[in-house]
Amino acid sequence: MHSSHDRVVTSVYAAALLVVMAGCSPPDDDPIAGATAEPIATATADVVPPAARQAEAFEPPPLDRLEANTKWIDRPVRDGLTLLRAAQEQEPVLATTAEALELKNDSAEANAKILSALGRLPDGDAADLTARIDRHVAGDLGSTNPIMISTTAEFDILGLTGFGLFSFGRDLEPFASAETVTSWKTSADGLLDKVVLRDDLVWSDGTPITAHDVAFSYTVIMDPRVPVPAVRSGTDQMRAVHAYDDRTLVFFHREPLATNVWNINFPVLPRHVYEKTWEDDPSLKDSPAHVKLEAEPVVGGPYEIVERTRGQQIVLRRRKSWSHVKGKQVRDEPYFAEIRFRIIEDPNTSLLALKSGEIDEMMLQPEQWTTQTTDAEFYARNTKATAPEWVSFHFGWNIGTPFFADRRVRRAMTYAFDHDRMLDKLCYGLYVPCAGPFAADSWMAAGLKLEPSKQDLDKAEALLDEAGWIDRDNDGIRDKEIDGKLVPFEFSMLVNQQPHRIKIATLLKENLDQIGIRMNVRPLEATVLQQLTQEKKFQAYFGGWGSGTDPDSSENIWATGAGRNFVGYSNPEVDRLYVEGRREFDKAKRAEKYGRIQQILSEDQPYTWLYWRNSFYGFSRDLRGYVFSPRGPYHYSPGFGSIWKPRAE
Amino acid sequence: MATSGGFWAEAWRRYRRRPLAMAALAFVGLLVLVAALAPAIAGTKPVLCRYKGRLYAPCLGYFNRQWEPAIFTKDRFRGTYPQNLKDKDPESWAIWPLVFQDPFRTVRENEWPGRPENPAKDEGRPSRTNLFGTDQAGVDVFAKMVHGTTVALLVGFVSMGIAGTIGILVGAIGGYFGGWVDTLTSRVTEIVMCIPTLVLILAIIAILEKPTIWHTMAIIGATGWTGIARLTRGEFLRLKNAEFVMAARAAGAGPLRIMLRHILPNALAPILVPITFGIASAILVESSLSFLGFGPPPPSASWGSVLNDARSNLSMWWLVFFPGVAIFLTVLAYNLIGEGLQEATDPRLREARK
Repeated sequence: MHSSHDRVVTSVYAAALLVVMAGCSPPDDDPIAGATAEPIATATADVVPPAARQAEAFEPPPLDRLEANTKWIDRPVRDGLTLLRAAQEQEPVLATTAEALELKNDSAEANAKILSALGRLPDGDAADLTARIDRHVAGDLGSTNPIMISTTAEFDILGLTGFGLFSFGRDLEPFASAETVTSWKTSADGLLDKVVLRDDLVWSDGTPITAHDVAFSYTVIMDPRVPVPAVRSGTDQMRAVHAYDDRTLVFFHREPLATNVWNINFPVLPRHVYEKTWEDDPSLKDSPAHVKLEAEPVVGGPYEIVERTRGQQIVLRRRKSWSHVKGKQVRDEPYFAEIRFRIIEDPNTSLLALKSGEIDEMMLQPEQWTTQTTDAEFYARNTKATAPEWVSFHFGWNIGTPFFADRRVRRAMTYAFDHDRMLDKLCYGLYVPCAGPFAADSWMAAGLKLEPSKQDLDKAEALLDEAGWIDRDNDGIRDKEIDGKLVPFEFSMLVNQQPHRIKIATLLKENLDQIGIRMNVRPLEATVLQQLTQEKKFQAYFGGWGSGTDPDSSENIWATGAGRNFVGYSNPEVDRLYVEGRREFDKAKRAEKYGRIQQILSEDQPYTWLYWRNSFYGFSRDLRGYVFSPRGPYHYSPGFGSIWKPRAE
Repeated sequence: MATSGGFWAEAWRRYRRRPLAMAALAFVGLLVLVAALAPAIAGTKPVLCRYKGRLYAPCLGYFNRQWEPAIFTKDRFRGTYPQNLKDKDPESWAIWPLVFQDPFRTVRENEWPGRPENPAKDEGRPSRTNLFGTDQAGVDVFAKMVHGTTVALLVGFVSMGIAGTIGILVGAIGGYFGGWVDTLTSRVTEIVMCIPTLVLILAIIAILEKPTIWHTMAIIGATGWTGIARLTRGEFLRLKNAEFVMAARAAGAGPLRIMLRHILPNALAPILVPITFGIASAILVESSLSFLGFGPPPPSASWGSVLNDARSNLSMWWLVFFPGVAIFLTVLAYNLIGEGLQEATDPRLREARK
């Protein structure tokens, strides 16, 4: 399962992003939210979750019989922009545009004013539809094939070129996208979803987009020979996807799950392009035909890739055939005629680019937010805004090692760490403490309030003594006899090679040193770190996760043997609660289940949770319409689609 | 060997006449002193203390974590000595380092009675308590630089020690024996010359479970000997037919004895020059590696890693200025020493001067 259901503009993909990297600092990128540098890791890659199942032989019943036996319930078909416009009409205007542009974002009040004034959608034809935006991404695309999506950069870019049926709004409530879907119905028993596509959709090569493309994509995604990194989790919960005609599509579920609304949301490939080639080359990238497609993909979204210089930039152009079909305008054009993604890995370099006007937006590191974006030089061309975001960071303890098998030791680690210092000094007081997997203001955490962890060295030492880690050989290091050998408590923590994260890990080293434990900080490249954590070749690591839209998406982190359960956590009660939570439709009752999971995890401390990393973005003064969700400013609907530039006066 | 002794005395006499070279030598001498006495210059652990009736030197923990007496961990000092010593043994006394600052961590409020907490974030400008300012985490830059001196010196000496040993050995064998042996050693030298040191170091660091500064030194040493080998070979080629060598051979000396006792001392002077320059370049390599974030594992202090901290916020000028000046002066000093050596030992240059 995944963890994040991302949708930008039109495509919605579910995927969990492992942010093994992001931190409060520089290139930190975050995975999820936009400017991430690292490949986010989704390490996920072909990790098949425990529940993963292949598509099985399934004979769909004829449509007339299906219709006769099914009671349908209407589900929402919405347009993200319309929803946002309606929501904004209810919101008070706290400042005018001119006032907001004069403000320095140095208080919560100023931030609210900036977001209120500059986050508005355009009135009438105020938007310059010929505008170009220069966006920042911290890493290149691994592939232009939408089903291979897994890193933040891919979500950013392929989200704009990809075709999708479903999306979710700022409140993370799912809906079918009015731009592509006419109607969406779910059967009363929860086992079927029926979608009718619009008839005015075409691929970038002019071929109509049909329900057959969606059914075909499901088949490809579920084929075990295809190395799909992230999107298979979710689709593997379904029994089948069947196209009855060009427009009618039915999703058959195995069970009536609360998460089915997310499972039906996956990227779509053009069948007419891939049906001849994919069987011969299931890697989808090696054969000459696929190499050519990689360079010139046939896309179904509002933008197409027109230029790509590896490691430098990717240029997208608005696709006329998205908005105009057979000479008629059938849907709104997105605001930008051209989007140029500049690939800059080093956050200091990208900040220089922002200040000089080479890029129009970027995610800021806390240090940059506090110390380098406060002067007139920054505000000459830019402004900045912040909002809470559901991305959290943690120290993960490998339960398979002799050190961390005992939960008393893991709890001692949490007590040993100076959380306050990390938050106040190393994170510049910008981040919110984190004590468990679900954000405190989210519905799934509603049932339980976790207190932020505090340092308590006495408790830490008492727990270590109790767990049998005592300095027996008088060398100042705690040790324990394991298999007849005295093992000193000395371990390595893997951390992404970023000064900010290294400083946080070093603080823990200092704290542990005080109580007789030696820790080595081992900075690694993001890709090496991912690989080692995935293979469980570590003792401890510093990483992060972007929360999904649904709490069920974290099952692949905590269920026994799950794909992203790097620390090797296993608790039958947690496993059971996830299954129950999925089957429960009453939101309050679901929240109870997840609250209980949160409580168990907090007692077991497989992670030492550290902080929630809020969104911090710098935007050009020319940009308007940025609105933040718990998934950041881009990865929901409309997300990036609401951003515009005003016409020159 | 009497001639050789005379030669060195003469060289030293000439070297002493060069004020810049002498200043450089004094500077390196000062660095050695700073490195050796680092824990007594800046630290938070007593240089010497009497605790519960016994004498301890906890400051040795800065050289090797294992050397810090375990009793302080047992008694839950938790790394902070001043208050704990007093509380746990009112009779105790201690001799403190000159500057109460730690190279690995920040100093908290009242850790030293009456002293406020080190400033963190971008507020740590140089001040009376923090002579060279503090980094973003509040760690004192002066303490880091004092303790980083060890790394800077070690990198130079150890890597060039390795390089010198390999280079002299390979060059001597090739030059003395000649023939196919010479062909072989020369080709090997050329192959090693083609290995890019920086890339090799990056690759090894990625593979190693626990990379340390010693690995970096070993690699710089193992790849940096080629110039030395070539020079040694040349000197050996020149000297192996000299009269005193023939005399030794006639007297029945074996090849090993001739190489080590007769040729090497006479060939050493020109070889010392590239070694000295090598030390300077090794220091630069280490600093650039640390600057790029591939230095010794954190939080170990190294001048380059202070520079690296400055990368994320250039307005903290003290993070650039002090380590930058230190690296510059040290590299300059080694180069001046090298130049001085060259001029003092090369008879041709001496003649030209006259």
